[in-house]
Amino acid sequence: MADLLQAQDVHVTYRTPAGSVTALADVSVSVPDQGMTVLAGPSGSGKSTLLRVLSLVEKPTSGEVLLNGSPTVPLSAARRRALRRKDIALVFQNPADNLITHLTVADNLRAAAQAAGRPEDVEAVLEQLGLPGTENWRVPALSGGQQQRLAFGCALARGASVVLADEPTSQLDAVSADLVLQTLATLPVPVVVASHDPRLISLADKTFSMVAA
Amino acid sequence: MQIPWRAAPRAALSSPLTLVVSIATTLLLSFVVAAAVLHGSSAGSAAMTYQEGRLCEQSVHPVLDGNTGFDAARGAAEKAVREAGDQPVLAGFYTGVGRPDFGGLATYGRFGFREGATDHLTVLQGGSKDGVWVPESIAKAAKVELGDRGENGALPPVTAIYADLSHPVDEWWCSEARQVVPNPIGGDGESASVIWMPSLDSMKAVLAGHERVALTVRFPQAELPRTIAEADALRVKGNALLARIGAPVTRSDYLKKPVEVAGMAGGNVGSAILPLTAISLLIGLAGVGTVTLQWVQRRHGELRMLWCRGSGPLALGGRAVLELGLPLVLGGALGLVAARLLLPVYAPSTALAAGAVLDASIWVLGVAVASLLVVVAVATWKTHRTFQGRPVVLRRRWVSAVPWELLTAGLAVFSWNQLVRNGLGTSEKGSSLPTIDTAALAFPLLVVLTTALVAARVLRLSLGWSHHANMWSRPAAQLAVRRLAAAAGPVTGVLLVGVLAIGTIAVGSSVAAAQKSSLAEKSGRFVGANSTVQVSQDLALGRIAIPEPLRGNTTLVGVSDKTLVVDPATFTDGAYLGDTSPDEVRSALNGLKKTGDFAPALRIGRSSTTEIRVPGLPLLRPGPQLPTFPKLGTRGYVIQRDSVPGLEQVGSWHLWSTLPMTELTAALRTAGVHYTNVQDRATVLDGLPFLIVQWTFGFVAAVGAVLAVVAAIALLLAIEVRRRQNAVSGALSTRMGLRPAMLLSSHLMELGALAAFAVVVGSTASAVSTGFAVPELDPAPWLNPAPVLPNLAPLLLTTVAGSMLVVFAAAWLALRSARVARIGELIRG
Repeated sequence: MADLLQAQDVHVTYRTPAGSVTALADVSVSVPDQGMTVLAGPSGSGKSTLLRVLSLVEKPTSGEVLLNGSPTVPLSAARRRALRRKDIALVFQNPADNLITHLTVADNLRAAAQAAGRPEDVEAVLEQLGLPGTENWRVPALSGGQQQRLAFGCALARGASVVLADEPTSQLDAVSADLVLQTLATLPVPVVVASHDPRLISLADKTFSMVAA
Repeated sequence: MQIPWRAAPRAALSSPLTLVVSIATTLLLSFVVAAAVLHGSSAGSAAMTYQEGRLCEQSVHPVLDGNTGFDAARGAAEKAVREAGDQPVLAGFYTGVGRPDFGGLATYGRFGFREGATDHLTVLQGGSKDGVWVPESIAKAAKVELGDRGENGALPPVTAIYADLSHPVDEWWCSEARQVVPNPIGGDGESASVIWMPSLDSMKAVLAGHERVALTVRFPQAELPRTIAEADALRVKGNALLARIGAPVTRSDYLKKPVEVAGMAGGNVGSAILPLTAISLLIGLAGVGTVTLQWVQRRHGELRMLWCRGSGPLALGGRAVLELGLPLVLGGALGLVAARLLLPVYAPSTALAAGAVLDASIWVLGVAVASLLVVVAVATWKTHRTFQGRPVVLRRRWVSAVPWELLTAGLAVFSWNQLVRNGLGTSEKGSSLPTIDTAALAFPLLVVLTTALVAARVLRLSLGWSHHANMWSRPAAQLAVRRLAAAAGPVTGVLLVGVLAIGTIAVGSSVAAAQKSSLAEKSGRFVGANSTVQVSQDLALGRIAIPEPLRGNTTLVGVSDKTLVVDPATFTDGAYLGDTSPDEVRSALNGLKKTGDFAPALRIGRSSTTEIRVPGLPLLRPGPQLPTFPKLGTRGYVIQRDSVPGLEQVGSWHLWSTLPMTELTAALRTAGVHYTNVQDRATVLDGLPFLIVQWTFGFVAAVGAVLAVVAAIALLLAIEVRRRQNAVSGALSTRMGLRPAMLLSSHLMELGALAAFAVVVGSTASAVSTGFAVPELDPAPWLNPAPVLPNLAPLLLTTVAGSMLVVFAAAWLALRSARVARIGELIRG
């Protein structure tokens, strides 16, 4: 297995009124081009920060992030956006944050496909998610679990090379979480998940344990 | 276009509050801008109408006047009719004053012909239009009767005797007054009433081709021009017509100066309101920016998702425009419509120049474009800063760190210096208009702005400190303070806008009212009474009695040089004393008892204390002093009538009355008392300089009203935005034992304290600043008295009542949300 994403000696520091806060200190991880990689660790260990860095949303203070072996930190903001548009899908913790709530389910999938310049195949994606017949539903009509699955559906619709998800089950009840886990397990692209959910960790092909310094 | 952008306009409907706020923001913004443009145009039209009102209606169109041979005059009149086409032409022919012979006593008179003249005379006897019409004065003097033929039978028979024309004449005669209204107390032959001939041919027969005639050619207008452009077009057209006529008589264009002056007036008002409009524009655009920031916060999740999918800041800025653009543009259009519809409420005239609405529309379009640019810029900047920029240390916000109040205070000092040095600007006697110094005009507003900024800073600091306050013995007060402190930002904003609104309304309406009363006061002092007429000395000598209807409201005053000869018993009945006490004047006049050969005199103002000789009067010995006096102003002397042994030696005699001019002259005509030189307080002074300041500050008050609406909406929105917080905290508090009445009183205290603070600060700042500024804002400083601050109590009461209404509404909103809160809402996240 080749490495799709690599973080090398990544250091992230935030300046706050109280002084500098180190969120990540010399972290190195590699994400293979298939299977599920889990970033596990307690709250405050920097899982979400690392996920943002890996998804090219945030630049590290120092260190390098390689995508398909190419360095991304020196790239301009526009080039990084282009990479995000084409290759990377990020799913947030709160289901509603992953969707445009005033659009229908189908329009959310179409919007995701359009963002990546991909053809739209709404019915196939909904079938795959186990949400057939919901095309014309408004987002608020879906349950939290359904919304989160739809978020992964959007990632599929975009044809992203990798899906990164931040605590995707933390705001769901057990039944909904199970359905999301099933969806995650069936995604045909490599997945990176930040979570401390043991059920999710148990599904992982590769796990990085992070500790709060 | 991708779906999130394509669906953005519809997304606006997902938040009615944002929709309403966006519409309201540009509505108010474009209202102020459009109203400023329309107000400037309206002021020009109002100035035009005002000046036309001071002209005779038939002199508005350029006219011809001259003195020439009859045939030349007739030729000119006939050519005028031919050249004018459909335009009505009215030519008047008048001989010089002569001694018409009706076989009786010799008298003075002149012959005249003007088409339709007999339709505008009051017939006393007869009335057939095919003969000569003789004025009553001549008929009585020469014992003329109906059927008589004057000039040894050369004239057609007399068919009517009419009442002599006298001032004030109606509009049909206004431009002919010099020819047709005699001066009955002038010297013999100076002037005389007109004997109207039935036709131009019969008049020619009277002249026998030897005499020159006065010719007047008028072009009556069905409708007078209402705007500067219309007036200018009339002038151009009229002057071209007169040029084509080419008659050997004088052309007069009485409208030329009014057109110039009205243009200046419109420009003056426009430039005077420009700074306030610019400030309002900036405030409005800042409001648009705030709406955009709130939108970015509300759409944070969606924007972050789009950002993660590769959208750039500019694209997200475009997303903001697509969602907020339509409401903003709609608000702009509504603002333009509101400005047009409310024109009668805030502008001095509803007549607008042809392009005014188009100009206003272009400005509103500019405002809409600027608003959209602000939305793009703010949304782009904010999303860039949020998602792409490096996290930065949270510093104290620079906006609150800058001492803005020092800056505005410095500007206020500068404008005060301008005001005391130049007054309103270049207001010199003889100049028709003051060129308003905008910097000077801004003084009271800058004081209000400075005070508002200081109040906002004090409030902000107090709220920061307020956590030290422990008032749990008064839970309502403690809750109110904590609630205020928790929303320090919006509370400070509401206070700032509230103080500005109250201050601006007070400044605008105070200065406008002061100008209005100043014009009335100065006119009254200038004339000496509400209306005056010059009469013959027969009234002073007792040969003719003052008519009964004038007793108790009219007094007889003699004028010699700068000295008034008055009757102490009746003077205060007829004179305009303004704010001077009648008792004080009466007492001062009664003290002027003549002793020996001297006439004791009241010394007015800074007049000399040495004895003075005035022609026709005994030696004046100045005694007690009054600072000002009607007619005299601040210089002159006043003596009792009893001190003057030779009343016939006094320069002229006048009746001063509190009655309107029409009633005074009607009473005199009825009693057969001759008079001339009428003066009416309402028209004696050119009020345009006062009106310009009044219109300018009228607009200031209108902008203040807009700010008041902004403050009220902001307060209600602030309550509605934290509806859930209020509901949760209120419901929890009541479940913990707080009585609903106590909760209501805490909301009333919270909002009432804010409103009271705004009212007190705004009213005090405006009262103090206008107290200093109003006497300096004097368009006619050479006339006493200087403008004074009007009574502010009614305005203050209205402000308090309005504020209480808003406070009660907001408190009710807050209480309602607490009372209808459900348990589910309390336990939800």
